[in-house]
Amino acid sequence: MKRLKRIALSAFAAVLTFAIMLPSNSVFAQSSASLSIVPRKNYVIEAGKSINDTLTIRNLDAERSLELTLRVVDFTFKDDSGTPLLMLDEDAPQTTWSLKPYIDVPKSVTIGPKASQTLNMSVAIPEGHGAGALYSAIVYSSGAPEGGNVGLSASGVTLAFVNVPGKVDEKLTLEKFGAYHTAQSGRDAGYVFFATDEPQTIGYTLKNEGNVTEAPVGSITIKSIFGKEYVINNINPNSSLALIGQTRTFTPCIKLKSEEVDFNGARAEATTCTSPGLWPGIYTATLTMFYGQNGNNTNEVNSTAIFWYFPWWSILLLIAITGVIIWAIYKITRRFRRSSYQMKSRQSLRRK
Amino acid sequence: MGYQRKHRFEAHVAPWQHVWIEGLLVFIFAILMFVTPASAAMRFQERSLYMKSTLPDVVTSYTISFRYMSPTPIGSVEMLFCIDPIPYHDCEVPQGLDVSQAVLSDQLGEIGFSIMSKTTNRVVLSRIPGVVTNPSSSYTLKGIKNPSKTDQSFSVRLKSHSSADASGPEVDFGSVKGQISEGIVIETQVPPMLIFCVAERVDDNCVSTNENFYANMGQLDSETTLVAQSQMAVGTNATGGFVITANGVSMSAGTTVIDTPSVPTQSNPGSNQFGINLVENTSPAVGTNPQGDWANAVPSPNYSIPNHYMYIPGDVIAYSPNVSLMKKFTVSYIVNASAGLKAGVYGTTITYIASGRF
Repeated sequence: MKRLKRIALSAFAAVLTFAIMLPSNSVFAQSSASLSIVPRKNYVIEAGKSINDTLTIRNLDAERSLELTLRVVDFTFKDDSGTPLLMLDEDAPQTTWSLKPYIDVPKSVTIGPKASQTLNMSVAIPEGHGAGALYSAIVYSSGAPEGGNVGLSASGVTLAFVNVPGKVDEKLTLEKFGAYHTAQSGRDAGYVFFATDEPQTIGYTLKNEGNVTEAPVGSITIKSIFGKEYVINNINPNSSLALIGQTRTFTPCIKLKSEEVDFNGARAEATTCTSPGLWPGIYTATLTMFYGQNGNNTNEVNSTAIFWYFPWWSILLLIAITGVIIWAIYKITRRFRRSSYQMKSRQSLRRK
Repeated sequence: MGYQRKHRFEAHVAPWQHVWIEGLLVFIFAILMFVTPASAAMRFQERSLYMKSTLPDVVTSYTISFRYMSPTPIGSVEMLFCIDPIPYHDCEVPQGLDVSQAVLSDQLGEIGFSIMSKTTNRVVLSRIPGVVTNPSSSYTLKGIKNPSKTDQSFSVRLKSHSSADASGPEVDFGSVKGQISEGIVIETQVPPMLIFCVAERVDDNCVSTNENFYANMGQLDSETTLVAQSQMAVGTNATGGFVITANGVSMSAGTTVIDTPSVPTQSNPGSNQFGINLVENTSPAVGTNPQGDWANAVPSPNYSIPNHYMYIPGDVIAYSPNVSLMKKFTVSYIVNASAGLKAGVYGTTITYIASGRF
């Protein structure tokens, strides 16, 4: 019995010692939170056909393994930009455009430090499925830490889009068009009719009432009152989409600055809006836009908008010039009136 | 005397006021008249392009359909393949496209056409000029090599002429749009990628972190603001850019949840408040401004006001509208407690989700 007690105590002591030697926070057992994924997948799949593809995930952490759980969730639009609103709740209702029933991805993956892994995935569209767009998101979640007041967890998302070809229902309605200021600290994004800051983008807002995502193309010509032209040759340079039911605002730059950059060992073209060099004045913008899926009608939308650009210095200058003109008119009028009065006085004196 | 002079001036100037207003209105109307563009006369209607295969660089067939609108006799139809659909813009040939081997394999509606001439991006269909009797028409061209680029749409600019050689004035015009879709295996292009990491401290390029994924903020009381910070680095070569959202409930202990401001708000010790921002603050001193030269990636406006904090689960806290080199953001956390806050261990897990944009 005593021996049994000794064994039990020794075992307890060993467990206790081991437990004390372990790091005090279980967070140290957590997965890496450094990952590289593909942000978007686009497919065209006919009804009754399927595709097999791969998802490549890299663990950038040099010391820890990356443990990810994968799940497919639906998404819609968050606002009038290209931000997806992920429906992360387990009991979120399935959308009418959901790809979830047709996509198959692994449930989890563990990737060693500084390694990458290619996962097989497939999408199968059933026979008889109607033409249109289907989309969902693949969410890769690293584990949540334990301990501390604020725990950190990282997730990555791949947006997956499938177009089922055929006769689709397409309807884009132009809701707004004009000069546009992007959001800045202390300034909300929005259309501007009278601008004191130089507009660098032209916006157009489209409501998608069809059953397919749309990526419009076309051009915008901006003309000053003196005839100077600025042309935006590609009104959708990133091939951005208006999702089903979305009112989407596209904001192409009036003048685009392109730059070749090295991103993680690969060349990429980065673009930013730059000052188009507008002079103060009134401008007319003309939009010519096309949209339409393969095999469907190409629809054309045309619109014209006017905006005023007067920076503060030009307003002050205008006020000063107007003041000088009024003053000059007053002086001239006064002189004219005085000379006319003097002439009349002289004439009446002569008559007398 | 002065009053009389003023009165005389007003009497003299008063009628001019109306003249100025009328003049201004006339001026504005004149501007509107001059700047309104002239609308086009006759466009082909029901225009469409069907590409049998939309894969890059594949030789396939195109069916171009449209409805003739003018009653004028037609002798030729010009099809010009360009990136830009606008007929009066310069034509840039889509990379990889080749229609020089095209064969007219089928025609419906207005028929009798044959290919008169063809180059890399231009095909002219010709016939003996005749009156249009079947306006809804389609023409199938075989042997067209698709463009290479999947990230750029292209167009076919259409023009009809009374002449048989596409010379002289155009009768109808219009464009159709085409788009190449991605093949499943693209070996010649660098695939888009999104790089993202989160920890208490991270390297600019996500190669290493300090491997700490939580922060202990200390003991809550009604007079002190507790602070913490974490970092994340992000970058993408995807043309659509990225967004990062912050997800998870506010700090809580059991059923007690600390309030979060829904608009940027200053730290207010003595009230229940949990908030974050992504810039350097002095009150309290916590955080750092975003690090990295690249200007495209920015914190959201509501989370970029120094000394102002908020938190709405699911909010976009940083984004880039297009390609962005690696950029590092420091997230500052503040928490305040009122004297009446229920005792307990308060904690939360914030999940940062990085995704592409559409």
